[in-house]
Amino acid sequence: MADRRFDDVFEGDELGPVELFLSKDQVRAYARAVDHYFARFTDDEGARREGLPGMITPGNMSMGLLTTLVDGWAGPGKLRRLGTTFRGLVLPDRTIRLCGAVTQKDQTTRSVELDVWMESDEGERLVIGTATVALQ
Amino acid sequence: MGLEFDRSILGEEFDRTEHDPVAADELIAFARALGEASPCYVEPGAALIGHPTYCIRFRGGKFFPDNLPEGLRYRMSFDAGKDIEFGVPVRAGDRITVVSTLHDLYEKTGRSGSMVFVVVRFTMTNQRGETVAVVDNRMMYRGQE
Repeated sequence: MADRRFDDVFEGDELGPVELFLSKDQVRAYARAVDHYFARFTDDEGARREGLPGMITPGNMSMGLLTTLVDGWAGPGKLRRLGTTFRGLVLPDRTIRLCGAVTQKDQTTRSVELDVWMESDEGERLVIGTATVALQ
Repeated sequence: MGLEFDRSILGEEFDRTEHDPVAADELIAFARALGEASPCYVEPGAALIGHPTYCIRFRGGKFFPDNLPEGLRYRMSFDAGKDIEFGVPVRAGDRITVVSTLHDLYEKTGRSGSMVFVVVRFTMTNQRGETVAVVDNRMMYRGQE
């Protein structure tokens, strides 16, 4: 696990991309872990009855996955803020990419601003956001 | 949508919920579901901490205040995103209290028409009074024809 130092970071540095296959079982495991075992997150038929194309990934799980990207880059315990906008449905049993880039460094606070996003295999940005990490 | 409401409702506490103590296996199951392998998130013991976004599993007992503007009550909303300021990590045995306030309410016009955003803020503290997280939940209502 990285323990990244402030002086080794430059604006424009990229995080990832980390490509992963998001399985339905992983989404169900998340839904179970957060006690949100609702049809839309666990079952295609149940999700369709709610007007969805099939089971979807909880927005909170997308945030969690983006956090793993930031944590993997900066090291655990460095994330201070994360803001996201959910732009599209994240459908499981597909490949997604977690991506990011350094947009700003603040020498005074030794913090770094990041753009982070989750995109589909086709390159559509499904979740976008910004994050702040504090580095030594 | 012509949104009019009494702005004095912003910032008012409308719910306070204390959750049961956090179990270590819950922290580990959460982190594993995200594919985490870092020892601090998945290995039992004194060093175990909750994955940062574990905090968003905590909610208030009531998600919206009773005095939400009438045009929004009982309508379906969509989770448009969240902003989280992280405090101290959640640890096994912590009892998390969630205080809910209506943080903001605003209207926007986008490509698909007018939308109203309701921002519900959860301020989460542990039993020591330390801030675990401040989570702004942005819920979106589509305009009505």
